[in-house]
Amino acid sequence: MAVCGIKLNKVMFSLSLLRNLRLRNERFVSTSLCRLSPEEEPPKFTPPSKPVIVDKTQTVASLRKFLSPEFIPPRQRTDPIKFSMERKDMIRRRKVVNLPEFYAGSILAVTMADPNATGKVNRFVGICIKRGGTGLGATFILRNIIDNQGVEICYDLYSPRIQNIEVLKLEKRLDDSLLYLRDALPDYSTVDPNIKPVPISPTGEVPVNEIKVRMRPKPWSKRWERPNFDIKGIRFDLSLSEEQMEHAQKWAQPWREYDMLKEYDTSKLEEQILSEVQLKMSK
Amino acid sequence: MLAWSGRFLLQRGPGLISLRAAAESPAHSVFLYRTVKTTTWFDEHLTEDNQKFMRKSIAEEYRSQTAEKLNPLKDEPWPRHDWTEGSRRVGLVAVKLGMAPIWTKAGEKHVVTLLQVQDCHVIKHLSKEEFNGHTAALLVGGKNVSPFYRSEEHMEMFRNAGVPPKQKVTTFKVSDNAIIKPGTPLYAAHFRPGQYVDITAKSIGKGFQGVMKRYGFKGQPATHGSTKTHRRPGASGPGDAAKVFKGKKMPGMMGNISITAHGLKVWRVNTKYNVLYVNGSVPGHRNCVLKVRDTVLPNRKSSLHNPPFPTYFTEEEGDLEEDLYDENLFVQTEPSLNLT
Repeated sequence: MAVCGIKLNKVMFSLSLLRNLRLRNERFVSTSLCRLSPEEEPPKFTPPSKPVIVDKTQTVASLRKFLSPEFIPPRQRTDPIKFSMERKDMIRRRKVVNLPEFYAGSILAVTMADPNATGKVNRFVGICIKRGGTGLGATFILRNIIDNQGVEICYDLYSPRIQNIEVLKLEKRLDDSLLYLRDALPDYSTVDPNIKPVPISPTGEVPVNEIKVRMRPKPWSKRWERPNFDIKGIRFDLSLSEEQMEHAQKWAQPWREYDMLKEYDTSKLEEQILSEVQLKMSK
Repeated sequence: MLAWSGRFLLQRGPGLISLRAAAESPAHSVFLYRTVKTTTWFDEHLTEDNQKFMRKSIAEEYRSQTAEKLNPLKDEPWPRHDWTEGSRRVGLVAVKLGMAPIWTKAGEKHVVTLLQVQDCHVIKHLSKEEFNGHTAALLVGGKNVSPFYRSEEHMEMFRNAGVPPKQKVTTFKVSDNAIIKPGTPLYAAHFRPGQYVDITAKSIGKGFQGVMKRYGFKGQPATHGSTKTHRRPGASGPGDAAKVFKGKKMPGMMGNISITAHGLKVWRVNTKYNVLYVNGSVPGHRNCVLKVRDTVLPNRKSSLHNPPFPTYFTEEEGDLEEDLYDENLFVQTEPSLNLT
């Protein structure tokens, strides 16, 4: 039986070699090895019959693809080498600190180094109302209401003073920019600083919060009803009459969507940059 | 038309380059330089094959010329001297790429302009006597351009240096121990982080502008009864002189003049792509060609200790790291700051 053991070892060794040579990600079911009889020569490797059992619960294809908006270069006559130099620095920074995926409407907690704060670090929780800037100068604004006072802080995403960004609740809203929360009722901007983080799934769509916000009485800081802002997340029927809404439509520019000179199709650029970024981040 | 240009050609016969002579077809004469100021382009009278050949041949010529000049220390370089106090070295010609933020180790944010040194070569050396009687000068050019739209006289100096024609050629006044052989390539590592530079470029042209934009005059009130006078210059001088002095600020062309920004700190140098990160803003639009040289300011001269003299040679100083950083600059690969 010692012979059987040796031969079995040889078989197992060659099979494991072949297994390693072929694939690293998938695991084969290994019970078939024991059924080989000791007298047979090690058979030529035959691939297992389908279906192959794959252990991973998520394949790469099902992960949500997200390219942070500051990677997309603006529509300018700039040499692309400038953007590639900036992108390198951005990727280097991202390898040190995790800058997570978030949108306007998500609730974030940011810890930043501050020489004047106790413990040299201050933590601010708020709802993201705007993401601006491109390249290394990308910013985002967090808003919260603390002790009946509205507070907005604009952070540089790539600033070295930022130590940690935590997404407490990942969600989208009906608009990209929630600056109208400044004129909305304070309830919509209050975020509990001790909110429990909601687990984020890496697959599937980001949940869209279709809330429509009630506004304070006019005057507002901007005329949010006008079509150039294109806001869908406000309950205009509670604060404006139909005539006022119609009057606002006077500022509509329906020809803008047909203006070919203003077109900026970023789909191909996005794919290219996304693949480049993913490649470099995985190194 | 053909006969006319042909006549021109006969007069200038010996001026042709042998390469182009080989390219032309015997039926047509050469239309490779604009001696005739009509609206033709260089390949209008060439056959299609010849057009393609011209473009390819010029590209190959450029490549071979740059390849030849890659090792300046190996083919009869001029004698090199050491840096002494008070010696002036060459500058570079760079292209303005754009601007970006940087952070210091203390967490402060500054803005930098990215300048890329593209195809910078020394073109000519003018000795003290040739130039102005006091200092020697070096002509330096940057950014290759097409030879087809430039005259033969203009091309002559590039041909003598063995270098493709450049968009901008500038003079740098240089001390005698810092002269360089024409044809030497210049790289961004000529400047090091921590030193200060002066940058000269043509400012963005604004066209004909009024006195409020051009000189910041206050104008007149918009309301309260002012009749037809809101942006006018007002009075043109004191009454006693009974004349307007020369140099009176009046409306005129604004911008598109050569401006120098002094004392700009170099924060970072990328040797792979030849990019300089220079503090603050710089005159000129994006993708404009500028002249960069060591500062003239007396209080910043101490930052220039032991610079690469007369310039940075790749073979000799060899492997510099890809990125050279100033000591106060926060490098993105370091962990986040703890300000204490």
